[in-house]
Amino acid sequence: MSTILRTEGLYKAFGGIVVADNINVTINAGEILGLIGPNGAGKTSLFDLISGVIKPDAGRIFLGAEQIDAQALYRRARTGIARTWQNMLLFRSMSVMENLLIAPRHYPGESIFGLVLASGRVRAAEHAARERALSILARMDLSAAAEVMVTDLPFGHQKLIGLARTLMNDGALLLLDEPMAGVEGTVYETMQRVVREEAASGRAVCVVEHNISFIKDLCTTAVFMAQGKIMESGSVDKLLASKVLTELYFGV
Amino acid sequence: MEYFLTIIVMIAIFIILAASYNLVIGYGGLATVAHPIFYALGAYTSALLAIHQGWHPIICVLAGVLVAGVASILLALSALRVSGDYLLISSLGFQLGLLQVIRNFEFTGGAGGLSGIPSTIIGAARTPMFLVICGGLAILTVMFIAWIVRGPYGRAITAMRDEELAFSTLGRNAMSMKVAIFALGCGIAGMAGGLYAYYFQYVSPDQFDILQTVAILTMVVVGGMGTTIGPVIGAVILIAVPQAITFLNLPPNVMAPLQGIIFTTLVLVVMFLRPTGLVGGRSLTSSH
Repeated sequence: MSTILRTEGLYKAFGGIVVADNINVTINAGEILGLIGPNGAGKTSLFDLISGVIKPDAGRIFLGAEQIDAQALYRRARTGIARTWQNMLLFRSMSVMENLLIAPRHYPGESIFGLVLASGRVRAAEHAARERALSILARMDLSAAAEVMVTDLPFGHQKLIGLARTLMNDGALLLLDEPMAGVEGTVYETMQRVVREEAASGRAVCVVEHNISFIKDLCTTAVFMAQGKIMESGSVDKLLASKVLTELYFGV
Repeated sequence: MEYFLTIIVMIAIFIILAASYNLVIGYGGLATVAHPIFYALGAYTSALLAIHQGWHPIICVLAGVLVAGVASILLALSALRVSGDYLLISSLGFQLGLLQVIRNFEFTGGAGGLSGIPSTIIGAARTPMFLVICGGLAILTVMFIAWIVRGPYGRAITAMRDEELAFSTLGRNAMSMKVAIFALGCGIAGMAGGLYAYYFQYVSPDQFDILQTVAILTMVVVGGMGTTIGPVIGAVILIAVPQAITFLNLPPNVMAPLQGIIFTTLVLVVMFLRPTGLVGGRSLTSSH
């Protein structure tokens, strides 16, 4: 199995609050790694460090063989890091299709020069993006919603669109921040199926999730974080059996 | 007749200014108040080159566009690196400071302004010719901006305004887009400046002061911010209405305040009845 993501000794503090303390994580192609821990454990901060929203004070991040910790936020997405958000951050004034069309790794239409000088290339990219968007929506049974304004969709479908938009990026690493929060029924099943399919296609997936049953269903391995540190890692069953961790997590 | 045509030339120049300001502030969401200074940079650059070098007007106007564009990139890079909010403050400083510099340099003509800009078109056809040139460029500007904000680029601008963090995390370079929009808008303002200088053959610092920001912003807001045709309607109304009142033959001591009152009333009425402007559809800030 090839290693997709590797962090070495990541450290980040905001004033006196350490959100990442010597974080070493490895995610392989095809793996779905669960990231669990109580609120404030540093899970989302770790996503922020990996995706480039915040810069580490120390440590290194590798995507495949490439060291990416000095790369700007937008460059890391182009290198191959796709990420969702707890609160989705969808583009509210746009349709579902428009939300997806903006999200491929390479988007020549974002440059005025490209628009003027290479309009053929822009059109070709648009066409390819539209095809990809339609196929992703079809996998989620949301084809009918393509031209609907994203804010007109029910919450669960918005969550799926958040994932769909991220899947427009065909990079090697997928970071999912609480995909199941507030989700149930068929949306839950769709979410689970699509995440599994993505891993099966060879992507490395990392999921932050409070829904333990989702983690149990989906992940074989997990990392338990608290107070910016990795407390334990290994198989999900082993983690959930650990008494120390359940005490930390549930405070019992 | 000459008077009417001059008003229409002014309307055309202000359509260019309002449309380009709308690109920056309405579509780009970049809060700047420095638009008149880029208008001034275009005007002064064209004027100085025309007077001292005697180059072809097209070259002089393009040089004005270039100077305004480059200056705007310098401002944008310094202000936007920190945060978008700093642009408002930096642009205010840029506007006030640079105009003071223009006011105090000898080669810019100081506070008295710069006259003696050569007339490129002579004779009875001069004003109609300018009308065609300015009107044509105004139409081209509005069409070009409309073309830009449609399609993939416009989608990117909208997404950036909606959720910049998500936009960047998807691989879009928000900073370079902002700088590009800003430079394009300010470069177009520079072109308006060049047209102004060649038509009136005289430029002075007072024509480019911060009150012009208010005038252009009012055109954009009254017409409809973030719309294609809004700035056009705004520019027509706000140039034509004050001129029309002068035909009432009122004494000057009544005229001046009356213009102010009508102007203010117009803004208040539009803001009250149509907060998104005369042609504005859905609000730019609400979720629609």
